[in-house]
Amino acid sequence: MARTDLLQGSLDLLVLKTLDLEPLHGWAISKRIQLLSHDVLEVNQGSLYPALYRLRDRGLIESEYAESEEGRRVKVYSLTKKGRAALKREQASWRLFAGAVEAILAAG
Amino acid sequence: MGAWRWLRRRWDVLFRKRGVEAELDEEIRTHLDEEIRQNVQAGMSPAEARRRALVAFGGVERHKEEVRNVRGVRVLDDLVQDVRVSFRSFLKAPAFLVAVLLTLGLGIGANVAMFGILDASLFRPLPYPRADRLVMGRVTWNGRVGRTVSGPDFFDYRQQSSSFEDLAAYTPFVLRATVTGGGAPERVRYIYASTRFFRALGVEPVLGRGFAPDEGELGGPRVLILSYGFWQRRFGGDRDILGRSVTIAGIPFTVVGVMPRDFRFAVDVDIWVPLQRGGAWAQARQFHNFILVGRLADGVSVKQAQADVDRISESLAETYPETNRNKGLNLTPLKEALAQPYKATLGVLVAAVAVLLLIACGNVAGLLLARGSARRSELAVRSVMGAGRSRLARQLLTENVLLALGAGVVGIALATWLQRGILAFVSMDRLTPVKAGVSLPMLGFALALSVLTVVIFGALPSLRVARVEPGADLQSGTRTTGGRAATRARNVLVTGQVALTVVLLVVSGLLLRTLRELRGVDLGFDPDHLLTAAVQIPSTKYPTSASRVEFFRELQERVAALPGVEGVGFITRLPVRGSGGNVRVDLPEHFGTAGVFGKMADQRTVMPGYFHAMGIPLVAGRDVSLVDDSAATPVVVISKALAESLFPGEDALGRTVGVDVGEAEPARFEVVGVVGDVVMDHPANGPYPAMYFPYPQAAGTGLDIAVRYSGNAGAATTSVRGVLRTLNTDVPLDEPATMHDVLGRSLSGQQAIAVVVSLFGVVALLLAAIGMYGVLAFQVSRRTHEIGIRMALGASGGAVVSSVVRGGLILVALGLAVGIPASLFAARLVGGLLFGVGATDPVTYVGVALFLGAVATVACMLPAYRAARTDPVVAFRTE
Repeated sequence: MARTDLLQGSLDLLVLKTLDLEPLHGWAISKRIQLLSHDVLEVNQGSLYPALYRLRDRGLIESEYAESEEGRRVKVYSLTKKGRAALKREQASWRLFAGAVEAILAAG
Repeated sequence: MGAWRWLRRRWDVLFRKRGVEAELDEEIRTHLDEEIRQNVQAGMSPAEARRRALVAFGGVERHKEEVRNVRGVRVLDDLVQDVRVSFRSFLKAPAFLVAVLLTLGLGIGANVAMFGILDASLFRPLPYPRADRLVMGRVTWNGRVGRTVSGPDFFDYRQQSSSFEDLAAYTPFVLRATVTGGGAPERVRYIYASTRFFRALGVEPVLGRGFAPDEGELGGPRVLILSYGFWQRRFGGDRDILGRSVTIAGIPFTVVGVMPRDFRFAVDVDIWVPLQRGGAWAQARQFHNFILVGRLADGVSVKQAQADVDRISESLAETYPETNRNKGLNLTPLKEALAQPYKATLGVLVAAVAVLLLIACGNVAGLLLARGSARRSELAVRSVMGAGRSRLARQLLTENVLLALGAGVVGIALATWLQRGILAFVSMDRLTPVKAGVSLPMLGFALALSVLTVVIFGALPSLRVARVEPGADLQSGTRTTGGRAATRARNVLVTGQVALTVVLLVVSGLLLRTLRELRGVDLGFDPDHLLTAAVQIPSTKYPTSASRVEFFRELQERVAALPGVEGVGFITRLPVRGSGGNVRVDLPEHFGTAGVFGKMADQRTVMPGYFHAMGIPLVAGRDVSLVDDSAATPVVVISKALAESLFPGEDALGRTVGVDVGEAEPARFEVVGVVGDVVMDHPANGPYPAMYFPYPQAAGTGLDIAVRYSGNAGAATTSVRGVLRTLNTDVPLDEPATMHDVLGRSLSGQQAIAVVVSLFGVVALLLAAIGMYGVLAFQVSRRTHEIGIRMALGASGGAVVSSVVRGGLILVALGLAVGIPASLFAARLVGGLLFGVGATDPVTYVGVALFLGAVATVACMLPAYRAARTDPVVAFRTE
């Protein structure tokens, strides 16, 4: 199966989108992205945690400790109100961008 | 809110670091566990599942670092960590730490000390208000700057120039006289200064007033101004001193002022006496006794003032062609003029300390390279663990900065001590007396220098070491020593050090040979076992010529009668002890035709027996005699060179010479004797033509005494002093010193710089030798295996020694090849300080090469012998 690395900058958007559906912990976020993209997108683990810390520092997501299914303490991330607004903005601009690229590729 | 969060985050990171780090650790662990669990579910063995999870995640350390990076606090964070790691690694290698701190500290300390001296003397303005407006005026002959200006010329410049707020004059040589009355007789130092001298400098007396205009005219009131120190010393700081009379050389003067405690100009004196127009030292245009100090008028530049005085010089030359043809006045900013005599010396010292620092940096760089080699495994491990290359380089840089800062602290500690040493040799007292001590600018300079040294010594090693290749470095195991490139870098360093050392040694060699040459100059008299002193008699007590002659005759007779005394002589100024009295002498008929400066000679007045006491040979004719008094025919004894120049190829005896006495007609003297030529002032100037007049013809109140004694100088001084006291209790024996002490003092400048530069040269040599030892020891340890094989195959210990030593001497040869041309260049720069030895003096160059070679051989021998003792079996086992 063809896999591709994430486009620079798009990881933030995907993380926000994933968390918009439900609060998740780190590992689950990466698995969820992989799953939703039908295994096409594989999150580079090394970029995930930096991205999470960055988003949290910007106040777009927040973290709290919760119990996992195995009874372990895990850190669960969820979207803040500010994050939800950012997601809307990012989504719109991404669609604009992707549409533009597609239009060019479709030409001739 | 944003700002609050930002602050909060920094706070967390810096002070709750443990907590945040733990949070991250935990999160990553969770992540890995989840991954492992999934892998196990997919049917892998637990071990395989774990391995796969780790591979998928990548380097744990790297991710942690990236997270820190993203959080924008990485630099600070790293710094704290780097500093901690650095201290740990220093403590693991205390010898290395001490070596670096001492080497670099010495280099920095020497530079900080020099900087402190320059800062206190040259960089700061002179201690007078608006000192930048002050200029010094010196005479020029045919445009060449000389020294003293004549009194009458000074008064004309002062009157005719409009460029100065004030123009003043002073005698640059210190005069001495005896103060009597109100306590024991005491010798004081005084100079003549024109009435507005203090005003020109912008300093007012702390008590009383400056000189009044009428005190600067011939026949004006006899007044003087005291220095603060003398006022305190002799008069206990009595505020009623103003208006009181002080007797100097038997003449009463009225005290009109006391100068402030810290006032000082060029020389230390006790008393200032006003220069009187047409008075002492200023009677005639051909007597040049003054240096001018001017304060420029507002808005006038030095150039404009110069143009102004040039115009006056021209008109003086027209009015007084006899004396003022080709004569002019040069104006130089005061500070520049005062600093001139120190320039060459300071230049050499600054260059020497800079070279020393470079050599020290070279040594430290060598040490770092060696240490870097030894640390390759450690760094490789850290690299494998995910530390980035730039991260490693930064760690090394941190260590270097810490080392340099530490060395800076050591340097500051050494600086005061070094400064005291330098100042003991090179006093800056003509400018400003400099005290040893650490100043704020010195601290700043030390810091700047520390940072600079990091760039010099640290860049190469840290770049090299950061370029680790984990595979190769870990494989090569414990015997790692760094690659061929590291060896090459160290070879280059040692070559550079040797080259710099050669430069320092050559310069110090040339200076030492200069000193030797100066000491070996044939003075024309015998300086051994010669006691010198000055005797000043009060004119009130000895008003007539006859009474003065009688005093000195009596003194001569009594001193000559002392046991162990072989000769006693009196002269107005003993050679080397004093100088000056340079006048024109010629055939009387040549005056008025041959221009002002036909032939010149130093004039002295002597008592009979002087030539015998000094060991100056009488070439022809007779010595002066007591019967040559003012009633008899005026006679003179001249030196051989003067005789030959006045009467080439003829007999000088019985001939008449004319001497310029500042009047229209020269005074005439019959030559009755010819004596050997003598060095009159400084050995470097060589013998100078001289005329000796009999004391009874011109009996002044002061003479220098020369006593040829056998035995102990101190005992001779005591007995001469005792004899003097029996003659007159009010006449002290002034400044007694052996002729060798006097000579030593006159050579102290040359001696100072030779000693200081040699000292630096020796330190440089030591550092270079240590550097070389380090490189060779390092090479030997690398080649243990190879040497073992060679010895197993039958190579003798001697062969091994010579092969190692050869390696070292090749470096020395390379260093010499670079250093000798550099030295030729440097020697040309210090040419002005040399005497009797050329900048290309082969003895010095060959000597330095041999000396360096010998020291280098010793430095190489130690590692060579260690190599030769290599046991093949052990060598193989280290593999």
